[in-house]
Amino acid sequence: MTARARFFPFRRTMLWLAVSLFALAATPAHAAQPVLRVLAWPGYAEPEVVESFEQQHAVRVELTVVTSDASLWDKINTHAFDVFAVNAAELQRYLAANLVQPLVTEDIPNTRKQLPRFRDLGAIPGLMRNGKAYAIPYTYAQMGLIYDRRQFPNPPRSINALWDKRYRGKVVAYDGGTHNFSLAAQSLHLDSPFRIPPEEFPHAAARLIELRRNALALYTQPEEATHLFLRHGAALMFANYGMQQVHLLKEAGADIGYVIPQEGALAWLDCWSITHNAQDPQLAHDWIDHLLAPQASRFLIERQGLSNTLSDEDNDQPQGKAVWLQPPEDTVWREKLWARIRSGDRLSRVLAQ
Amino acid sequence: MKFPIAWRLGLVLVMAGLLGTGLTGYFAYQASREQLVNASEERLLTATNVLMRQVTVALDDVKADVQLIARHPQAARILQRSTPGFQSLSEDNVAKIFEGMMSVHPEYFQIRLIESANHGLERIRVDRGMGGLLRITGDDLQEKGHYPYVFETLQLPAEGIYVSPAMINHETGAHAGEERPALQVAAPIRDAAQHAIGLIVINVDLQGLFAQLAADLPPELKLYLANTRGDYLIHPDPSRSFAFDRGQDARVQDEFPAVAAKLDEHTREGWHLVTANLASSPVALVAAFDQKRILGMQGGNGFILGLSQPLASVLAESEQLASIIFWIVLSFSALSILLAIVLARALNRPLYRIVEEVRRFSADGKIGTLPVKRKDEIGELAHSIQQMEKQIQHQIDDLQMQQEMLDHLASHDSLTGLPNRRMFLDRLEHALARAKRQNEQLLLLFVDLDNFKTINDTHGHAAGDGVLQAVAQRLRGLLRESDTAARLGGDEFIILLEGEWNDAQIAQMVDKVSTALAAPIPHQDIELHSGGSIGYSRFPQDGHTASTLIAAADQAMYHCKTSGR
Repeated sequence: MTARARFFPFRRTMLWLAVSLFALAATPAHAAQPVLRVLAWPGYAEPEVVESFEQQHAVRVELTVVTSDASLWDKINTHAFDVFAVNAAELQRYLAANLVQPLVTEDIPNTRKQLPRFRDLGAIPGLMRNGKAYAIPYTYAQMGLIYDRRQFPNPPRSINALWDKRYRGKVVAYDGGTHNFSLAAQSLHLDSPFRIPPEEFPHAAARLIELRRNALALYTQPEEATHLFLRHGAALMFANYGMQQVHLLKEAGADIGYVIPQEGALAWLDCWSITHNAQDPQLAHDWIDHLLAPQASRFLIERQGLSNTLSDEDNDQPQGKAVWLQPPEDTVWREKLWARIRSGDRLSRVLAQ
Repeated sequence: MKFPIAWRLGLVLVMAGLLGTGLTGYFAYQASREQLVNASEERLLTATNVLMRQVTVALDDVKADVQLIARHPQAARILQRSTPGFQSLSEDNVAKIFEGMMSVHPEYFQIRLIESANHGLERIRVDRGMGGLLRITGDDLQEKGHYPYVFETLQLPAEGIYVSPAMINHETGAHAGEERPALQVAAPIRDAAQHAIGLIVINVDLQGLFAQLAADLPPELKLYLANTRGDYLIHPDPSRSFAFDRGQDARVQDEFPAVAAKLDEHTREGWHLVTANLASSPVALVAAFDQKRILGMQGGNGFILGLSQPLASVLAESEQLASIIFWIVLSFSALSILLAIVLARALNRPLYRIVEEVRRFSADGKIGTLPVKRKDEIGELAHSIQQMEKQIQHQIDDLQMQQEMLDHLASHDSLTGLPNRRMFLDRLEHALARAKRQNEQLLLLFVDLDNFKTINDTHGHAAGDGVLQAVAQRLRGLLRESDTAARLGGDEFIILLEGEWNDAQIAQMVDKVSTALAAPIPHQDIELHSGGSIGYSRFPQDGHTASTLIAAADQAMYHCKTSGR
């Protein structure tokens, strides 16, 4: 009995050894599983959503998260993705560069559950071309202003509050050239935030240098913004991520308000598109359909404070004028100038060729 | 005897030997392997700890450099402005200090003096460029007030120092440092009233710094560096470094799950551990990690430093050990087999000899040699068997003697010792058969004693017996070895004589017998006179069978007796 008992673990060890060696040798077979390469913004594809998709379709999802339009553009141009989330305005340059393929809306049955204004793709500028749909609306948000109630007896009314010298060093701005130039154009009362005439660029750049000088810091991610806002007792913040940031700050206990300025808030509509070189377009359609299901749409509101395209009642955005984002006149130029502005160059340097 | 007991015993011994050496070998291997692995893990951890110490020392050096300049009166004087000529001279001097430091420290990307006024404008800046050090001046100087290393440093308490999280430097115009991983170390410059009026910031080339520190590591050791959240900053696979900067996730805890628990603990102090990534990587690695807070980093942040070594190379030593143990086990097993064979033979051979001896003895009954001189159980067994053999032999001898005696009694006359009638007939038959075969002759003499009845009646039976004995004695004395005299019963004797006999010879023979019988026979004090009548018959002349021949001789004797011869 004792001899037997002592003998057994030894045998088990040998067995375990053999099994694990075999498993080790057999590992590469795992790589044969199909992969869907998804490029999305933070919070768009929550782990549960990805997991349920992986299980339903027996595939592996390779999720990459982007935090700026520029980064999204660069990544799609590496041709290493199947499906991605892009805003309707940005989509235009992808269309122009033939980086996306037309969608078969019948293959995305969940579109029928969307609100009518999102279902009518032709009514939203930029989603269709030559009668073919290239993007399906997923979520939208307005970029309002977050303010500290203790420092603002009354909510700021204008976008120009960001430039208000009284809040110098208390403003948190977003580190993104395209939006910031639109913001500068709004502040300069130009006709369209997305069509800055060449002669106005020096003014817009100067305006952004002013913004930089008035700002405490620039952020790229919502968590970073929350941290900066709280740590330094900021008064005002441009909410590039909209309600998402409001929720984060309130969760952290901040006494803040959120307004849509009188000039109107830049508003983006993010859509799903399929790249021209998607490995398995059908799988990509399935992905979009999956994200229009209640699970993902509910997470958008509950976790990210974003609005979904299924129901108005759930969404809690403040009312105010929406300035739907459009493709700017020259994204590359805006980003190039902004990189210099962000780096601290003065106007002469910023405008240098 | 298909499987002799000695061989069975030998087999058990071999099995025991193999099991013993095998198990000893296996457990010795297990124990030593564990020790070896532990020792390499210990070495790995020690190397990691040493490297971490070097990192903190290196960072302390950077901090010391930053503080040295920040506290230099020249730095504050530049920011407080004086006459343009003096100002320019001071700035040149400070720039020279920067250049001196950067030429000594190849891991410095950039040293700057930044003022808190003018939105954090750079006042003196030396960059590392492709061709060498560059003094940046005029419009190329930038406003950095919105960067954390500026606004955080300016808010530092006295003696405070700022160390930025590791990041990719996206600031344009940073020359060699642009888009490269860097660490900013900064300290405020204070005026006489202790107000922060500017700062000194050194951009440290993260990869350069660690390349220097890790230069002496053996090539099989791979370096990992991560921030306190676990994001890789340096990874053997460059695509995993700074993945967060590209919007991707590549974290220590995903590759080495044991790290996750440590990260969750939120320990204020550092921690270290040794782990392996058996499940999550195609190449199994043993890795040691050491986490330390870096003084000056916000929020108790620091670095997680790791070194990994392929498990295979950790186990290489133990593989060598395994082969040594294997050969030891093999040779001891061979030795045990050999010993078992020798033992089996040593046991088997005497047993076999005993068996052979017993077999042979039962065949021929002769006592042979046995290993009786052995002092062990086998010697005792041999001795017992020998005793038994002797006993058996003795009993057989007795039996034979008795048999011979019985045979003699059955074939001889007990009184005279002569063959009796039965034996005589037997011999006669044999002689007849031989004579017929070889064409020879036989002569039978039939003797009947005269006066025997008278002697018996007159002198008693003892006298009669004496006469018979004496007659037998005399007949025996007359005959050759090949001849047979027998007592047929009563006073009748018969003699068988082989060979050629002519009439004269026969007469002479009859006469000799007659004379012998006629001689007086002493009995006690008297002499007895018997005498006998003799008749003869010959083969083949007088008959061809024993009975006809005896009958013929008897007839002749009777004729003789009646004729009164």
